Amino acid sequence: MLAQRQVKTGEAPPPNVRESSAAAYVLWILGVLLKAAVILVFVFPFLWMISTSLQTFEETMAFPPTWLPAIPQWSNFVEAMSAGPFLTYARNSVVVTFSVILLQMLVMIPAAYAFAKYKFRGKELCFALVLLAFMIPGQVTFIPVYLMLAKWGLIDSLLPQIIPFISNAFGIFLLRQYFMQIPQEIIESARLDNASEFKIIRKIMVPMSMPALATIALFSFVSHWNDYFWPLVMTDSDSVRPLTMGIAMLRQTEGISNWHIIMAGNVVLVVPILIVYLFASRQIVKAFVYSGIK
Amino acid sequence: MDKRRLWEAVRPYVMILPAMAGIILFVIYPVLYLVKLSFYKYNLLNASRSKFIGLDNFTQIFTRGDFYSALINTVVYTVGVVLLTLILSLLIAVWLSRKSRFNAVVQAGIFTPHIISIVSIALVWMWMMEPSYGLLNFLLKSLGLPTSQWLQSSRTAMMSIIIVSVWQGIGYYTLIIVAALQSIPPSIYEAAALDNAGKFKMFYKITLPLISPQLFFILIIMTIGSFKVFDTVKIMTGGGPNNATTTLVYYIYEFRTTSIGYASATGVVLMAIIALLTFVYFRLLARKVHYQ
Amino acid sequence: MPRGLRQEASGNDGNTGLAGGVTLASIELVQVTKSFDKNVVIKDLNLKIEDGKFTVLVGPSGCGKTTLMRMIAGLDPQTSGSVLIDGKDVTRIPPGRRGVAMVFQNYAIYPTMSVRENIEFGLKNNKVPKEERIRLVESISETVGLRPYLDRKPSTLSGGQRQRVALARAMVKKPAVFLMDEPLSNLDAKLRVQMRIELIELHKKLGTTFVYVTHDQVEAMSMADTIVLMNQGEIQQEAPPEVIYRKPGNLFVAQFIGVPPMNVGELGADGVTFGFRPEHAVLSAEPGDFHYSVRGTIVTREMLGSETIYQVRTDRHTFMIKCTEDRFSADQEVFMGVPADKLFFFGADGNRLDERDQRIAGYMNALRVQSHG
Repeated sequence: MLAQRQVKTGEAPPPNVRESSAAAYVLWILGVLLKAAVILVFVFPFLWMISTSLQTFEETMAFPPTWLPAIPQWSNFVEAMSAGPFLTYARNSVVVTFSVILLQMLVMIPAAYAFAKYKFRGKELCFALVLLAFMIPGQVTFIPVYLMLAKWGLIDSLLPQIIPFISNAFGIFLLRQYFMQIPQEIIESARLDNASEFKIIRKIMVPMSMPALATIALFSFVSHWNDYFWPLVMTDSDSVRPLTMGIAMLRQTEGISNWHIIMAGNVVLVVPILIVYLFASRQIVKAFVYSGIK
Repeated sequence: MDKRRLWEAVRPYVMILPAMAGIILFVIYPVLYLVKLSFYKYNLLNASRSKFIGLDNFTQIFTRGDFYSALINTVVYTVGVVLLTLILSLLIAVWLSRKSRFNAVVQAGIFTPHIISIVSIALVWMWMMEPSYGLLNFLLKSLGLPTSQWLQSSRTAMMSIIIVSVWQGIGYYTLIIVAALQSIPPSIYEAAALDNAGKFKMFYKITLPLISPQLFFILIIMTIGSFKVFDTVKIMTGGGPNNATTTLVYYIYEFRTTSIGYASATGVVLMAIIALLTFVYFRLLARKVHYQ
Repeated sequence: MPRGLRQEASGNDGNTGLAGGVTLASIELVQVTKSFDKNVVIKDLNLKIEDGKFTVLVGPSGCGKTTLMRMIAGLDPQTSGSVLIDGKDVTRIPPGRRGVAMVFQNYAIYPTMSVRENIEFGLKNNKVPKEERIRLVESISETVGLRPYLDRKPSTLSGGQRQRVALARAMVKKPAVFLMDEPLSNLDAKLRVQMRIELIELHKKLGTTFVYVTHDQVEAMSMADTIVLMNQGEIQQEAPPEVIYRKPGNLFVAQFIGVPPMNVGELGADGVTFGFRPEHAVLSAEPGDFHYSVRGTIVTREMLGSETIYQVRTDRHTFMIKCTEDRFSADQEVFMGVPADKLFFFGADGNRLDERDQRIAGYMNALRVQSHG
């Protein structure tokens, strides 16, 4: 009834005199069951996806649906992966995602440091531009950016998926907050120890802001690995397309009804992130919630 | 010594240069270019032969039926998603707000769809929404309820897309609300208990006002985010059936190679709408600063 | 709510200080046990809190005083046992209907409501009609001095003002019992002293039962009609301040109350400990004729203005002595003496031996033997 003071480690019913009736116990059990049902609603589609990916075509077409395949059809995965140049797609996803993260780190850290610790003319204006950029979505800029990159002949490379993102406005904002909280005295004593600014950044600022950097990297990883819109409008050939597009295209290549193949491809796309999530769920959740609250 | 002073004055600019270059080159400049493009009838084959047509693109926009239908679709989608997600997230968050390991597991569970690619989610739901063999119709049938055509009928397609978006988004917003709920000191509820307040009264007079900043924040980012919807539409319906699910960004996407000027003009309109919403948000936020 | 008969504390009889007769207990805890998960914090505790008195629950952190108070309020119901208010078992009654008001340590005022709305929230929930509500709020805000702030939001008020809001909110309900959980600990020193006096006067004026929790023994001593000293979930002693000070029930009580704490030392026989208060020892340059006299050296001297505190090291002990005069300096040799009637003895179980106890004579001798002049 009231907000409990103690942090509970398990979902045990509260042991006190007032609520020790059987009715309260039953209600508690119902609550637990309902919560389990809620988890199921959000997790079940993935389980269904995995099940479908291992069924035969006939099993998928059956009505009522086949819940579990009789024999897992691992060959579905082979077929999915050979429906297109998936090795290339996967390589592209990996290269793009990690390049973006790396470049963002290199660009973002000095910029955040400058905004946090220096005074210079035009600082407010530049930072306002950063905030402004944060709010302008890719759906607005993609046409001009495409024309620009096409003019420079870059469309057939992976660059259109990388360089527009080197400036991570969210990351600069977050990292600046973090840097501002590092006491000035630490930096001043480093300066007295004759450390160059870059050394200060490398040896003091970066190690002290690992949580923020991890958050930003995680956030970037998820958004770029899962990105569909930007590669869609920035690529003209298979050699530069990422995994997301490859899987989406399975629908065309496999035809409307080969759901078992399509789901197999889907599993390949989902499993890496799910595995990362299983191990680092708390950090990931924290990263996203923190970014939302800013 | 002078060289060093010079370096110290220039140093900040050097440090922000790559970031600012990226922003100016890939955000600021494109926006300006977009506006410029919107005044042209762009010739893709020979750019120099593009014709300046002034506000023609815009007059076209505001007189064309398909633009308005795209706009209406987007508004319907936004309202649907925002209302459903906000209400469901709030209810679930209140239900899960007590700190326990089990609740944390539930929260992690409902958050899962949020980090999966929209491609995967769209494909799975398309499969489940298959009218003849899909899981959803099977469940409906076995419960004795009428089945639906889901994505294949212009009457139900939009609703189907809304359901998928809500499903994907609830986890994220629930978590934000839970964080807000857990930051309320329990002693306030205890004081209210001593003031003989019932559960509903506590919710309306204490909880809601205290988390209203976060609710407001969610409202705005959801609204702005929903206006930009594209991926779900592209994969699940391709804008159809019969343009029933063509949203603004999808509309722009359709014209992106054939009528660049027109597409740009629509992009400008989209940007104006987003700017308006953001502006409204900041104005209203400035008024609600007095908390804690 | 009916008030009980208010008994005057008279005589020095034992723990409660009453001259016998009927006590109308306003709050009673009977065989109360409280455990959090597997942790038993309070076991089989019995306590009667007198109607109309200012009772202070005091003790070190974790002693259970706040837990006890929250059980009275109904915020953390007891695991077993019963809580009675004015003779009625309130175990199944929710906090809002027990006739109890509480001032929290962090005030817990509703941040999104104005001061006025904060104060009348409880009244509204109890269906008090509008005219009366307005009247009550106006008069209470007059009493606590919040009239000009009625329409302000809490975030615009200072700490002291917020505390008054919490107080007003509690008072306006005219409760039978006032609970206060360390209400002064978040205030600065000067404000704390001022509020202490105001609370004492408030109690005098209202005559309601006050239950006050604090870890500060000075607050306890200065404000209480009855002190309930707790340690590790058990009541060590329950008595008016003078009794607690002059007749501590056990070693713990003796050393908790009093600054500097009572000096104790092992007697060396039967596990008995002896003790005396710093202000009862006499220091002089010549050997004295007291029951317990020892020679020692001044280790440190703290001159505080109205009194001086010396740390004196003898061959067996180190004592803190409080003197009104400042006659000695560090490293000086002195003679310390304690008169017989100022000596306490504590048995091996920690309990104080009553002065009528037979064994005292024997121990007095043992102590005298240790003296040297």
